[in-house]
Amino acid sequence: MNKPGVYICGGCGMGQALDTAKLSKLAAGECKAAVSRVHPFLCSPEGVEQIRQDFAAGAVDAAVIAACSPRVKQEAFRLDGQAIIERVNIREHVAWCQKPNDEDTQMMAEDYLRMGVVRARKTEPPEPLAEPVSRTLLVVGGGMTGITAALEAAEAGYQVVLVEKEAQLGGFVATLKKRFPVLAPYTEPASDGIAEKISAVTAHPRIRVFTSAKITRTDGQPGMFDVTVAQPSGCVAPETPGSAEEHSLKAVLLRAGAIVLATGWKPYDAARLGHLGYGLTPDVVTNVELERMAAAGAITRPSDGRPVESVLFVQCAGSRDKDHLPYCSSVCCMATLKQATYIREQNPEARVYIIYKDLRTPGQYEKFYRAAQDHPLNFLTKGEVAGVEKGPDGQLAVTVTGSLLGEKIQLNVDLVVLAAGMVPNAADGEAIRALEEATVRSVKAETAEQRADAARAAEQLKHHAGTQILNLTYRQGPDLPVLRYGFPDSHFICFPYETRRTGIYAAGAVRAPMDSSAAQEDALGAALKAIQAVELAARGRAVHPRAGDITYPAFFLQRCTQCKRCTEECPFGTLDEDEKGTPKPNPYRCRRCGICLGACPERIVSFKNYSVDMIASMIKAIEVPEEDEDKPRALVFMCENDAYPALDIAGMNRLRYDASVRVIPLRCLGSLNIVWIADALSRGIDGVLLVGCKYGDDYQCHFTRGSELANQRLENVKETLERLQLEPERLQLTQLAIDEAARLPALIEGFMDRLRKAGPNPYKGM
Amino acid sequence: MADAVLVQPDTSFIKDVMASGGGDLKKCFQCGTCTAVCALAADDQTFPRRQMIAAQWGQKDRLMGDPAIWLCHDCGDCTAQCPRGARPSDVCGAIRRAAIKHFAFPAALGSLVANPKALVLLFVLPALIFLAIAFWAPRGAATPEAEFANVFPIPVLEALFFAVSGFVLLAFAVGMARFAKALRAGGGGGLVAAALVAAVVEIATHRRFAQCGAQRQRRLGHLLTLYGFLGLAFMGTAVGMGTMLGVMRTPLALTNPLKLFANACAAVILAGVLLLLAERLMDPAKRAAGTYFDWFFLVVLAAVVATGIGSELLRLAQAAVVMYVVYFIHLVLIFALFLYAPYSKFAHLAYRTVAMAITHSTFRSPGPTSPVVTNAEC
Repeated sequence: MNKPGVYICGGCGMGQALDTAKLSKLAAGECKAAVSRVHPFLCSPEGVEQIRQDFAAGAVDAAVIAACSPRVKQEAFRLDGQAIIERVNIREHVAWCQKPNDEDTQMMAEDYLRMGVVRARKTEPPEPLAEPVSRTLLVVGGGMTGITAALEAAEAGYQVVLVEKEAQLGGFVATLKKRFPVLAPYTEPASDGIAEKISAVTAHPRIRVFTSAKITRTDGQPGMFDVTVAQPSGCVAPETPGSAEEHSLKAVLLRAGAIVLATGWKPYDAARLGHLGYGLTPDVVTNVELERMAAAGAITRPSDGRPVESVLFVQCAGSRDKDHLPYCSSVCCMATLKQATYIREQNPEARVYIIYKDLRTPGQYEKFYRAAQDHPLNFLTKGEVAGVEKGPDGQLAVTVTGSLLGEKIQLNVDLVVLAAGMVPNAADGEAIRALEEATVRSVKAETAEQRADAARAAEQLKHHAGTQILNLTYRQGPDLPVLRYGFPDSHFICFPYETRRTGIYAAGAVRAPMDSSAAQEDALGAALKAIQAVELAARGRAVHPRAGDITYPAFFLQRCTQCKRCTEECPFGTLDEDEKGTPKPNPYRCRRCGICLGACPERIVSFKNYSVDMIASMIKAIEVPEEDEDKPRALVFMCENDAYPALDIAGMNRLRYDASVRVIPLRCLGSLNIVWIADALSRGIDGVLLVGCKYGDDYQCHFTRGSELANQRLENVKETLERLQLEPERLQLTQLAIDEAARLPALIEGFMDRLRKAGPNPYKGM
Repeated sequence: MADAVLVQPDTSFIKDVMASGGGDLKKCFQCGTCTAVCALAADDQTFPRRQMIAAQWGQKDRLMGDPAIWLCHDCGDCTAQCPRGARPSDVCGAIRRAAIKHFAFPAALGSLVANPKALVLLFVLPALIFLAIAFWAPRGAATPEAEFANVFPIPVLEALFFAVSGFVLLAFAVGMARFAKALRAGGGGGLVAAALVAAVVEIATHRRFAQCGAQRQRRLGHLLTLYGFLGLAFMGTAVGMGTMLGVMRTPLALTNPLKLFANACAAVILAGVLLLLAERLMDPAKRAAGTYFDWFFLVVLAAVVATGIGSELLRLAQAAVVMYVVYFIHLVLIFALFLYAPYSKFAHLAYRTVAMAITHSTFRSPGPTSPVVTNAEC
């Protein structure tokens, strides 16, 4: 913008700590602001009115508001919602955390003002996306989660397409004899209630159900997913095997705006539980097998049909075990307690043994546990099942070590039930793609060695073949990338339901192990996220975490070298590629994190209000004192999601830190382009501190991989430092969570100490 | 698998414990708070946590041979602190009751005493005996003053009570032998004379009892009851022997030192029993947890004391008819107290003494400090 106006607030202690008149003079003079005003209370109606009038009179085309943090008073300074507003944080980041009326404090505010004006000058008016979008929701999976999501979305007025691979709706819950208790006093199992839901879905005018169906292709992006659903046509005899099936399918092309993935779970492979006796005799069954037996009729000994006098449940069978499922499936304890009531119902004198690691019955389920525990013939102990062998009279002899009874004990029982865990019905999109690539390379690679390596890789990945669910035509693979333990959820605490594919939300047991009650809640959450996704897409706006952002990255493709960094590094698979490897943006998939901008060595990616050039110009705007002034300068890149608000909190708590730092917020540390580091250091700035979110298994990055990528890129920066002959201490990357504001002063002081030890940057004044 | 212990829950035992005071047994989830607060549990003794799960799992044999359950004074600290309301002290009481029944000789009598439905029958038998004595026993010349011997001749009573005592001693002997066998089977050591002395000292002083937190006042009541009872038992035996040998004649004069001692003992036991009764009645939790088994013993004992003192006072007042009726009741009750001693809570006197002697060295010795939970194992 060409005519930025500067508005400086003197309220909230800023007027007392800073010389606002001097700041205003700087804005009008050096910064060449179109207007420069100081107001004692800028967010007051009078203050805002002044800005409005300047816009109306055409005196300014952007407002640089030097006041509080951009995280507050957003409504007050919104104006008409279109005006370009730049916020300069001289309250939390200067007045509240620095020595009042000090030269260094004033210099800090001046630098922030210079940077703010540059930012406003480099901002261009956004051009929002405005393609027509579909508001139809696609729900994949017709179990409790999918049915609930479909019903809730339809009741909210949205058209829904529900796709189920089986011939019937209902999923696992429909196969149950009873569900966990759902009502007070939570001491009795409940009936499943799924039949009513199935009828409601089937009869709903806004829900279209496809059963025995699969998705053969999903094209496009949020708001405009083109989904091909294949269903048997019904005209070909079902006994025709193999390829004939393909011919019997009829394909339907649908357009959907967002997708809820509710594909549920499958039981852990019991064949791997031989150490717990599975396969030894038919009398060792899994909890799912026992449920089937109970739903079908009486529970008897499968080997001889004799009545069951004693049952032993092995909890955590293959769960919380590094050799099997390392996690807790959260439902097996309740399933066992529920199945104990089945046994009890048919034989009040039967003995039920439950051997557990810990009994986990969260929330109200504790009451169910207590009720089960109270029964005289339910025997519960912590312990480890050491072996299951054939015992006397056709019974099974179970050895338990580490029991609460003290010694190693043996129990002879009629039936052993393995309480096995849940495995998500998810496809690992990235692994499927790796398999495809390895298969191609195993034939087409140049050397024999490369072909052999590729063949080996393909062999290792072969179990992913044919596991596709959504069949996305994304460059990064045909399904959602999976995260820890094979679940596709992106962040289970901060952003449940979000996956790494925008507009596709995971819900129910595919997202995290859960029971049907939790799955119903999950379905509500995911349906709401899907609705938000289509509504925001219809307005050309970004979804969480930059909800409402109307900017998106533009690619200056004439200069693209097809290095593929952006297409590979985008955590959300936004970019596809043409045959040559040139990126093909799908802006509706974009979360606006700017990781592509950080990735691009040619610097061809930019947003209207966020670009390599803009940040580079802001760095140039920082006044770097001469070496003899003994005023070091450090540039701090802070993630705007956690680190930047933490610095605000530090200000609110009046924590004081070194006034030599100049903070630039980044959309994500992953949007850090390493050229900025070279720019800063070659200007004589003494060091660069990068503060991002935690990465790795329990990552807190709002864009999943941004902080991790920043860390990788920093490896390359080491070369830049060497080239400039600068000490590696001048660069530091660290992680900070939003609740760690108290750590910031020490962090900054520590970094400044490092820089002071390293001495002034020799490039000063050059 | 050879080294594994085969566990087969005795389901009737579980139901028995749950039906007789241990109704909250199954609520225990083995947190060990009871062990942490128990003044008796030494660092390597997870008492009463282990006993709780053994009872939950119907490990009757193990518990019958476990001396630990007899060391518990039923102080109620564990019950007061239990986060789950499993009432471990009541469970221990129920286990002790089951043990008394289990070791009872003859077993039928054990079952009879433990059965609330047989209550009337328990008193009909002695009532008939004493009615028969009152109406048909040969008696000497009536004295001018009203004396109990005029209706209940002393030689007959003596013969009867010595016979009953003999039977009771036999029943106790068999019970103790069975108990000792069970202790050995449970891995317990033999009885050492020195340990028996230590146990007697412990019983005489109630030092461990003093560590009870939840029901501190019970110690005094129990101590008074014990000493009063021992004094009266000694006096009764001595006077019985004396009259039998002809060196004494009852009733003794009020100024007779023996009589003075006996009356003092009666006052002591009266105070003790009243304290125990008051303690039970005042504490609503204790009142709710009280079982037939508990009340039977305490009420019979209290009634024996009350009717004994009543009889003496009435005799001194020469209230002829009333005095015989009260004395009759006293005789019925004292007979019941003695005859049923091996099968009622009374039997804890014997079982606890033996258990204390056997485990004297293994359990936490009484000290001034409150229980300390060490984390050495963690």
